Amino acid sequence: MSRPHALLRAGFPFLKTLGMRRVTNHPTDVAVASDDTIYVLNRHALGGHVTALPFVDPGENWDQYLPRMGPDGWGDGEFIWPVSMVLDEDQTLFISDEELNRITLIDREGAFISKWGEPGDGDGELKGPAGIAIDRDSYVYVADALNHRVQKFTKQGKFVMSWGGIGQGDGQFNMPWGICVDENNDVYVADWRNDRIQKFDCEGKFLFSLGMSGTAKGEFQRPGGVDVDAHGDIYVADTGNDRVQQFDQNGRYLEQFFGDATLSDMSRSYLMTNAQSLRLREMSELEPQKRFRSPRAVRVDDKGRMFVADFKSYRVQVYQKEAIPLDASQIAQVPRSPTLFVN
Amino acid sequence: MALNADSKNPVLVVVQLTGGNDFMNTIVPYSSGVYHDSRPTVRVSEDEIIPIDNELGFYSKAAPLKDLYDQGKMAIVQGVGYPDSNRSHFRGMDIVHTCEPDAVGTEGWVAKAVRSLDPSKKNVLTCVNIGRGLPRAMAAPGVTVTSVGNLDKYGLMTGLNEQSQRQRAIDLFEKTYVPVMTEGHEGVVMDYLAQTGRDVLEGADRLSSVPAGYSSAREYPDTAIGQSLRDIARIHLANMGTRIFYASHGGYDYHSNQVPTHAKLMNELSMAISTFMDDLGDHGAREEVVILVFTEFGRRIKDNGSGTDHGSGGGSYIIGDRVKGGLYADYPSLDPNHWEDGEDLAHTIDFRGVYATVLEQWLSIEAVPIVGGKFEQIHPFN
Amino acid sequence: MLDRHVEDIAHLMRRAGFGLTGLELESHAGRSYDEILEDVLHPERFPAADDDIYDRYQGTVDEHEVHSAGLWIHRMVHTQRPLEEKIALFWHHVFATGMSKGEHRHSSNRQIDMFRSVGLGNFRTILLELSMDPAMLYWLDNNENHKDQPNENYGRELLELFSMGVGHYSEQDIKMAARAFTGWTFKQPIPQYTQGSYPAEFVFIESDHDDSEKTFLGETGRFNGQDIIDIIVKQPATARFICRHLYNFFVADEPQVPAWNQLPPGDPQAIDIMTQAFKDSDGEIRAVLRVMFSSDFFKQAKLRRVKSPAELVAGVLKLVGTEPVPASDITRYSAATTFMGQILYDPPSVEGWHTGHEWIDGGTLTERVNFAVDELADKNRIGVRKIIEALETQGESLSPSELVDRGAMLIGALHLDSVTRRALIEDVSVDGDLSLSSMGDSANASDRIVSLLQSLVSCREYQFA
Repeated sequence: MSRPHALLRAGFPFLKTLGMRRVTNHPTDVAVASDDTIYVLNRHALGGHVTALPFVDPGENWDQYLPRMGPDGWGDGEFIWPVSMVLDEDQTLFISDEELNRITLIDREGAFISKWGEPGDGDGELKGPAGIAIDRDSYVYVADALNHRVQKFTKQGKFVMSWGGIGQGDGQFNMPWGICVDENNDVYVADWRNDRIQKFDCEGKFLFSLGMSGTAKGEFQRPGGVDVDAHGDIYVADTGNDRVQQFDQNGRYLEQFFGDATLSDMSRSYLMTNAQSLRLREMSELEPQKRFRSPRAVRVDDKGRMFVADFKSYRVQVYQKEAIPLDASQIAQVPRSPTLFVN
Repeated sequence: MALNADSKNPVLVVVQLTGGNDFMNTIVPYSSGVYHDSRPTVRVSEDEIIPIDNELGFYSKAAPLKDLYDQGKMAIVQGVGYPDSNRSHFRGMDIVHTCEPDAVGTEGWVAKAVRSLDPSKKNVLTCVNIGRGLPRAMAAPGVTVTSVGNLDKYGLMTGLNEQSQRQRAIDLFEKTYVPVMTEGHEGVVMDYLAQTGRDVLEGADRLSSVPAGYSSAREYPDTAIGQSLRDIARIHLANMGTRIFYASHGGYDYHSNQVPTHAKLMNELSMAISTFMDDLGDHGAREEVVILVFTEFGRRIKDNGSGTDHGSGGGSYIIGDRVKGGLYADYPSLDPNHWEDGEDLAHTIDFRGVYATVLEQWLSIEAVPIVGGKFEQIHPFN
Repeated sequence: MLDRHVEDIAHLMRRAGFGLTGLELESHAGRSYDEILEDVLHPERFPAADDDIYDRYQGTVDEHEVHSAGLWIHRMVHTQRPLEEKIALFWHHVFATGMSKGEHRHSSNRQIDMFRSVGLGNFRTILLELSMDPAMLYWLDNNENHKDQPNENYGRELLELFSMGVGHYSEQDIKMAARAFTGWTFKQPIPQYTQGSYPAEFVFIESDHDDSEKTFLGETGRFNGQDIIDIIVKQPATARFICRHLYNFFVADEPQVPAWNQLPPGDPQAIDIMTQAFKDSDGEIRAVLRVMFSSDFFKQAKLRRVKSPAELVAGVLKLVGTEPVPASDITRYSAATTFMGQILYDPPSVEGWHTGHEWIDGGTLTERVNFAVDELADKNRIGVRKIIEALETQGESLSPSELVDRGAMLIGALHLDSVTRRALIEDVSVDGDLSLSSMGDSANASDRIVSLLQSLVSCREYQFA
C-alpha cells in the first residue's frame, strides 16, 4: 500500500458519540475490530475493563454493553492499571498494564490467552509499560515508560531490541506513553514529558521530532496518544491541552479538534429515566460538555474514522475524515513561494 | 408493650445495607401495572415472586427471609424515609445515622443508645462493631465502641506473624504504656495514652478467648455478611455483655447491572440471617436477640435501562423470636400522582419512628433524646 | 542523646510539615534554624507537585473521595513544599467542609487547591476566596441565601467558626452578614449523568442581592460580602481567634473549639505575641507563622500536640519511603486515616475534628500502632533500607543503648521519655550487642533493626507531633 501523492482535504466532520458513564468509565484506549465492533479500554482507580460496543448503538438495553471483559485483579486476564490496547490481524487484543508490568492477550470475548513481561529494567523487563503497537512484521513495540525507552518484542514476548533512555536529546525519552507504527513500519512515540512526538524507523533510528511544550498550534502539553492514518497523517492526543492535533506526514500542522460530543444514544435513553438530571441540565451551561477532557488516545481506522478516548468525560468521540486522494497529474507542483495571485 | 420477661438482657443487632437497598425489588408489588411498566429491565418476574398476598411478594432470592416471615418472626416496615429525602449516599447515611435531616449532626443514634445502656462505661464491649472504622451511627464523644475487624486476629501488633515476636512486642508495649512522672498537660496525655493502651490490651484479652469457646454445627456462608454475623454469634454466645452489635453489608448501589447484583446480595443477606438465627437457636440464645435491618434510601421507581438510581421510600426489617411478624406501615403509593418529585416513592413512616420502636419497645430506653423528637412508632413485639 | 539544634529542626519540620527522617535531618544540621524556617515559609522557592504525573497515574481520582484523599496523603509525603500542604490541612480543619453533602469532588478538590494557593497569604483574601468557594457555599447553604428569603447558615458560621468566635457579635450581626452575602452563589454545573461531573463556578447574582442599608458590628452602610469581610478582619477578636487556631494546630493542643469562649488559652502570652504579629502585618498568615515558629514557646512545645491521623500516616510513609509515582493502592493511606478517625475531605461537621487526645481511643490507638508497625515490617522499603545502611556504617557493633538512641535519631529525632528508653534498652539487651561487622549475620542484624524501629513507632512518644 502506498500513500497518495496528495489529498483534496474536504473536511473532518464530527460523526457521533459512543458510550457513557457506567459503560465507558475513563476510556483510556480504543481498538476497532474488522467486524466494526469498537473495543473500549476503561481504566478505574484500581482496575480496568474492556467494553465491546457496536458502532451503531441501539440506545436501549445498554445493559448488555456493560464492561465484563477483564475484571479488576492480579490474576490472568485481569487488570489493575491498563493503559493501551491494540488488535492484531488475528483479532487478539494486546493490553498493557503499567502496574502489573505485563502485556495480556485476550480474545474478543475476553477469554485469557497469555501474558508476558516481568518487572525490572533489564532487557525485556518492564517498568510501567504504556503504549503498545504491532508492525507489519508482527513485532510488538512497547513504550516502557518508567524505563524511558521503547522495547521491541515478538508477539510471544521474546525481547528483540530496545532504544532510548532518559533525556531530552533526539532518541531519548521522558516517560513515553502512546506509540504507533505506520504502514512503512516506522514508529511514532508520544514522548510525554518532553512534550513532543518522535519518529523512528523499526530499528530505532531517529527520523524526526515534532512539537514542543506549549499551547499554540503544533505545541503539546503532555501528549498521551499518537496514531497515523493510511495517508500518513499524524494524529496526536494532546492530553494536557484537551485537544487532538492533526499533522501531515512531514509534521506540518493541519488542524485541531476540541470535541463536539453529542449525547450518545444510550445516554439519551438513560437520561430519559432521570427527571432530576434532566432538570439540572436545563439549568446549566451545556457548552463545555462537548469538549474533550483529558483525551488519552486517538486511533484512526482504515475508513478514515478518528476515535478519541475522551477520558474524563466517559465516552468516545468519533470524527470522519473526508479526503480525495490525488495523483501527481491532478495537482500542481509545489511552488517555491506563496502567492496572492488568483486565477 | 412487651418487655423481656427473660433474665437475659435484650440484644440488638443492627445490619446496615450500604448503598441503598431496592425495597421495590425486595418486597415486590408484583401485581401492579405501574411497577411492571416502570421497570422494563430490572423488574422481578412473576416466577421469581413468593407471594405474601395478591399484591406483594418476596423476591425469591430472599426465600430464607420469607421462611422467617411465615414463622411470624419478621416484621416488614414499609415505606421508611423522611421528608425531602437526601440522595447523596454520604449525607443520606449521615442523616439516618444521626437522626438529623436538617443539620449536620455529630452524634450517632447507636452511640447515644450506648450512653443510655452503659452510662458509667463499665464495659468496653457494650457495643461491638464488626469492621474497621466506625460508622457515624456509633460515633459520639466519650462513647466507647469496640471495632472488631477480624475476631480471630484482633488487637495490637497483628501484623507480626510469629507468635513469639508478637508476644514480645506486646510485652514491651505494656512496659512502655505506664504512668509517667512528667508534669502538666503533656503528662496528662501520656497517662491517658497509657490507660488507653492498657484498655486495648484488656479488651483484646477478653476477645481472644471468644473463638476457642465457640462451637457450632451451622456452616455460615463464606460471604462478608455471613462471617460478620458469625462473629456476632461468637461474641454474643461468649457472654461479653454486649447489648448492641453492628454489621454492614455493602454493594447495594446498583445503578447498573442491578439484576444479578441484587440477586447475589439478597441471597447473601437472607442466607446469613437465616444461618445466624438457626445458630442462636441451637445455642438457646434466640429469644434475647432482635435484628434491625436498614438502608440509607430506596431506589428510583423507574429503572434506567440497567439499574436504578438513588431514590427514597425504603424498607426496614425487624427480625427475632419476640417479633410479631407481618407488614407494618403502608406500602408507598405507586400511583404516579403521588410520586415525590415525579419519580420517587413517598415515605409512609419516618425512620426515626422505627428506631424509637426498637429503642423503647426492645431495649427499654427512652427514645426522644436519641432520635430527636417524638415519632410515630409501630408495635412489632410480642 | 539528641543534639538540641537537630531536635529543634525535627520539631519544626514535624509541625510545619510531615516530619523528616534522621538522615534528612542530618543533612540540614549545618544550616541555621532561621535559614531553614525561611525556606519553609516560602514554598514557592521549591518546585510544585508533579500534577501531570498524578493525573497520568491517578486521573480517575474523581471516582471516589478515598482516592482524592489518598492522593493528598501522597502529596504530603512527596512535596518539596511541606508547609503548603500543611496550611491546606490547617484551613481544612478550620473551614471544615464536608464532601459528603453533595459528593461533588471537583469542588472539594478545588477548595483544597485554593487553600494551598492563598493559605499563607492575607486573611482577608482567604476569607474572600472562601466566601466565593462553591464547596463552601453549598456546604453552608449560601446558594439558598436569597434576597427575599435569607439563609443565615454561612453568615453565622463565618462569624462563629471562621473568624471571631462566640461572644463577639450579636444575632443581629449574623442576620446582617447573611443579608450581605445574598446573591453569592454558583452556576449550576452540568450534572454527572451521563458524562462525568463538571466544576462549579462562583457567580454573584446582583438581582438576588439585598443591597439595602445594614448595620454590622457598629458600622452602617449598604454592605456587600466584601465589606463584611473588611469589617471582620479589623476586629481584635478575629486576630485572637485565628491565632488561637494556629497555636492549636501548630504549637500545642488546646481544648476543643466550642470551649474557647469559656476556657482561656493554655499560654495567653503566646497568643498575645501572635495576635500582635497578626495586627502588625494586617493579617498576613506567613508573618504570624514566622513569629510563632521562631519563638521560644514554640521550641519548648515538643510533645505538646497529638498527631492527627493524616500527620501520623504521612509521617510513617515518609519514614519508610514511597515512589514518586503514586502507587496504585493509595487508598490504603486514606483508609488508614479513616480507621484512625479522620476522613480527609469529610470532617464530621462544620466544627471540624476533635483534636488532641480526643484523636485517641482504644480502636484508633490500635489502628495507629498497627499501621506503623505493618508499614515498617518490610526491610526492603527504600526508607527502611537507608536506615539499616546508615546503622551499618556505625562501626563494629552497637550496644543496646547506642542502638536505641541511634534508632530514635534515625526515625526523626524522636525524644524518648526515660521510662520508654529504659524499657526499649532492656528489650534490645535480650539479644545483646548488635554486631554490624559480620556480614554473614546481616539478615539477623537487619531483622533486629526492623524490630527496634517497630518498637519505636509503637511507643507513646511517636503519637505526638
